[in-house]
Amino acid sequence: MTALILSLIAGVAMGALIQRVRASSPAMIAANLRLENLSIIKFMATTIAVGAILAYLTMAVVGRDAMHFDIKPTYVVGVLLGGLIFGVGFGLGGYCPGTCVVGAGEGRKDALFAILGGVIGALVFTLAFTSIVAPINALMDYGKVTLDQVLGLPAVGVAIGLGAIFLGIVYMLPTEVKRK
Amino acid sequence: MAESATQAPPGDGSSKLPTWAKLGAIFGVVSALSILTWGPIGVSGTYPRFIGAIMRRITPDAAHANPYLEKMGSLIKPETMLVIGLLIGGFLAARLAGDKAAPEHVHPGETTSGKRYRDAFIGGFLIVFGARFAGGCTSGHIISGITQLSMSGLLFAAGVFATGILTAKLMHKGAK
Repeated sequence: MTALILSLIAGVAMGALIQRVRASSPAMIAANLRLENLSIIKFMATTIAVGAILAYLTMAVVGRDAMHFDIKPTYVVGVLLGGLIFGVGFGLGGYCPGTCVVGAGEGRKDALFAILGGVIGALVFTLAFTSIVAPINALMDYGKVTLDQVLGLPAVGVAIGLGAIFLGIVYMLPTEVKRK
Repeated sequence: MAESATQAPPGDGSSKLPTWAKLGAIFGVVSALSILTWGPIGVSGTYPRFIGAIMRRITPDAAHANPYLEKMGSLIKPETMLVIGLLIGGFLAARLAGDKAAPEHVHPGETTSGKRYRDAFIGGFLIVFGARFAGGCTSGHIISGITQLSMSGLLFAAGVFATGILTAKLMHKGAK
């Protein structure tokens, strides 16, 4: 029950942040993907950096078992193929599965079409799962593998290092990119 | 403490931080607190759980025979509440700020609102299909995934930006 309330609060906060940073604007997403305006990419990188450093520092204090980590498996072919398909839809529609819900909340009509497309996409996926998806996702499945395991370094150190690299890159990159 | 706070120039320092940095840092705190208290944020799994909830009503036998719907489980989950929260958060933030979401033309080829709806619909189909293929989307794989140092999140992000950048640039040139 507590989790249902906390996740609702997290959702309201996330929705408000996405709206304020204009990530629910498909034109803004397209400008970011054209690399003309990097504000959303910098927003995401900042989120990841702050989140990773905080989560792993907290883990160092309370222990891994007190955290609710949930690592997704790395089945290389399916994850990469899914990402490539996702990217085409992201570039075309300018929405991701969460930002279209935020867009609907702020009254964007095209966001409703994106949600409808998403629901039908989920239906087709569900029907295609056993015959097409499951065999592909069995290929090159390395399980729940993390960067610290690959590098053979402590997770806290890798989180701080990765966070610092992300923040450094974000700090150096311009937000508005001048096109020639 | 209160005295020193009033002596400081109002808004100095923090006001120099750009919006994306401030909001990104707050989102990072929300993301880490979620991992501490209930789990990593993620959106796309709610779409097939929604399909499952409908199919269990209309065709219960087919729903129970589908291994994917069985795996994804019921809609009564924190992730569903997160998605409901997104709708409320988007509504409240836009209302409080007085934002009117004006219709946008995302690509030059979208000369009518019908063409915008078409692109949003096809895009919506592909993002959820692709996300379920990979096991997560921008929130679950990229934000929560890389936050947890997951290799799958890094791999997914590489795929997304490769075709995302290519598609957005091609659409801008009007090439179809």
